[in-house]
Amino acid sequence: MTTRQRIDLLARAYPRLFPRAELLRLVREQLGHVDALDRWILRNGRRVRAHAPESIYHICAGNLAVSAQTSLAHGLVLGARNIVKLPGERDGDAATRREIVSFIRGLPAALRALIQTDRVLDETALRRAQAVIAFGSDTTMAGLRAQLRFDQKFIAHGHAVSLLWISEPDKLTPRQARACAIDVLTYDQLGCLSPQAIYVPAATNIAALGEKLARALEAQWRALKQKPARSLSVAARIAEVRDVAFARGQPVWLPPSRHLGWTIIHDADPTFAPSPLHGVIILRKCAEAKLNQALRSVRGRISTVGLAGHWSSRLENTFLSLGVSRFCPAGRMQFPPLTWHHDGHQTLAELVTWIDAEGRA
Amino acid sequence: MSVSFDFNTPTGRRAWLRELLAPMDEAKFNALARILFAWQYARVPAFARLCAAHGVSPKNLRSWQDIPALPQQVFKLEKLYARGLGQPAAIYETSGTTTGQPGRQFLASTDLYRAVALANTARPPVAPLTFMHILTPSPQDAPNSSLSAMFGFWTQEFGAARTRFWVKNNSIDFAALRTLLETQSRRGHAVGLAGTAFSFVHLIDAWADRPPLRLKRGGWLLETGGFKGRSREVSKAELYAQLAHTFSVRDVDIYNEYGMSELSSQAYTHGTNGNHALPPWARVRVVDPATGRDVRTGQKGLVRWYDLANVDSVMALQTLDLAEKTHTGFHLLGRLPRTEPRGCSLSAEDLVDGSLEGRAPARPQGPIDKRHGRVGRHACRRPSKKTVVRRSTATV
Repeated sequence: MTTRQRIDLLARAYPRLFPRAELLRLVREQLGHVDALDRWILRNGRRVRAHAPESIYHICAGNLAVSAQTSLAHGLVLGARNIVKLPGERDGDAATRREIVSFIRGLPAALRALIQTDRVLDETALRRAQAVIAFGSDTTMAGLRAQLRFDQKFIAHGHAVSLLWISEPDKLTPRQARACAIDVLTYDQLGCLSPQAIYVPAATNIAALGEKLARALEAQWRALKQKPARSLSVAARIAEVRDVAFARGQPVWLPPSRHLGWTIIHDADPTFAPSPLHGVIILRKCAEAKLNQALRSVRGRISTVGLAGHWSSRLENTFLSLGVSRFCPAGRMQFPPLTWHHDGHQTLAELVTWIDAEGRA
Repeated sequence: MSVSFDFNTPTGRRAWLRELLAPMDEAKFNALARILFAWQYARVPAFARLCAAHGVSPKNLRSWQDIPALPQQVFKLEKLYARGLGQPAAIYETSGTTTGQPGRQFLASTDLYRAVALANTARPPVAPLTFMHILTPSPQDAPNSSLSAMFGFWTQEFGAARTRFWVKNNSIDFAALRTLLETQSRRGHAVGLAGTAFSFVHLIDAWADRPPLRLKRGGWLLETGGFKGRSREVSKAELYAQLAHTFSVRDVDIYNEYGMSELSSQAYTHGTNGNHALPPWARVRVVDPATGRDVRTGQKGLVRWYDLANVDSVMALQTLDLAEKTHTGFHLLGRLPRTEPRGCSLSAEDLVDGSLEGRAPARPQGPIDKRHGRVGRHACRRPSKKTVVRRSTATV
């Protein structure tokens, strides 16, 4: 099966998630030619062809299925044999596991034949794989790295956070507020592309901004066809963060019926601290000049900065110095293009090796 | 009850204590709760803010069940000490395991804490014992440990000569303890051992190759506390089975104390599956965090404490402890697990762990916590389903 054939099959099965044109663009961008895996191509007057890893071991995190689906799609495009270690047995993992399995079942047989799933980590298969792609905590990544051979490719997606920056909150339009709400509520805020905080300039009228965002979040929550469940554990964390904020005198915005769908809290401390997620977004005022200090604890771990409003080069430089790997407009944080460099990686290019054929003597 | 109590004076506090220790029915509990609530509402700003957010004030309070409960977490973030109480006589510290910051309970005087801790000693039956061995540091060695303080009160009350604190310089002399226990048992003395579950596991491990001790009938064990982020896990059932074997006691002779630094009262149970019993001046509700209402019997919820002896900070405390509501009260299941996977999404614990670049670990390392006498800290004395123990060391 050629790359084009695999792309066709994948795109036909999941046209919204993996549009054909985007898949072709991804291969073209990263390998130089759509057929680079299937035949010699000419590059700078030299014949080269890409060689895909025979097998890729994918280790999926329990928080989100979409990262696993994308990783698997990359393996399928390359034509590798894919072993998928499904999320574990914890409460929240089950839904993600079902989603991944359902995704695999939705693939055509020719692609399914390239996939094998594992409930538990198969250490032999892990060591035998030519490449390993893993999602999870830093501790998980460190543990995996210790188990691998020196010549195995290892793409580790460890801890990361994302945030929104609203440059002119006092002029925030309903459309921009809605875009922020989409970023917060998509995937129940569970991925590393989900904003955990909204940063705004120090002079912001926080009461007015809170109201605008609250209206947008409630509208977005109501628009969600499938509202995320709130287990006892999740409800407890949300209730706790709300009551802690009340006790500390922090401004809090809640849904009119006080449902647990979303929560806005203004923390006067600009220093980043992780949110409990599940729709809990923390508003933090911070002067641009002080962002470096406020985000020091997550330097090098900021995946995406979503922007609502004007974008200054000074601000961009500040975030670049913090190691941000992606900027995007508000509302698009959760929907990176397939050609995105996930955590700065060239998702396909880093997995292949190249064969050179020089001219005859 | 329209009596007022001046909690600023020893006389007022003694009067309050007399009320707590006198027979208590629901109406009286409600009346006392209203008095204490009004007093704390006026003097603990964080509590007042929480109540205001829930639309509750002394003026519109209908019943003690309506009093909003302050999350334990707030003890780590705010000084919760009623205005006008003067310099605190004691400060008990709680966990720093999640935020890297300990919670602190300020007491104007240890009078109420001492009195209720002693009044509660009918379960376990501390008083009739001839000897008691305590597997924590002494209050002198651990002045910020409420657990050491409580055992210290027991010691003062029931005879220092017959009581010994065994944790010295972060370690227990297992051989000396064993010799003494054998001698006392041989002489027919009833013996009690009290300490953290963690320290009991060290005893089990240290004496794994020795024949079981034969504690005399009437002897008991009291374990308290669960553990986070340690290496060996022991379920409560397994711990109790091992304790019963190691000390030749019945399952029902093993007590659990459920208390915490943020409170002044404790609940006790015995046996693997017992329900915790509360003193008359305290109540526990098992609530659904989504609604704040009581769960139905047989359902799981979070433990919410109402402690009338907890005068100096707040009387209503919301924990993250999981319990099942039973016909007679509640069955504690342990700390609410963090079951929600976060995958690559960073959590507060990850930041505290110091696993990120350039961050030093904020969590003190060590097999036992400061609250229990070592460098680490521990939040509360709740039993955990999994008791996690660092096995490689005999130091506690």
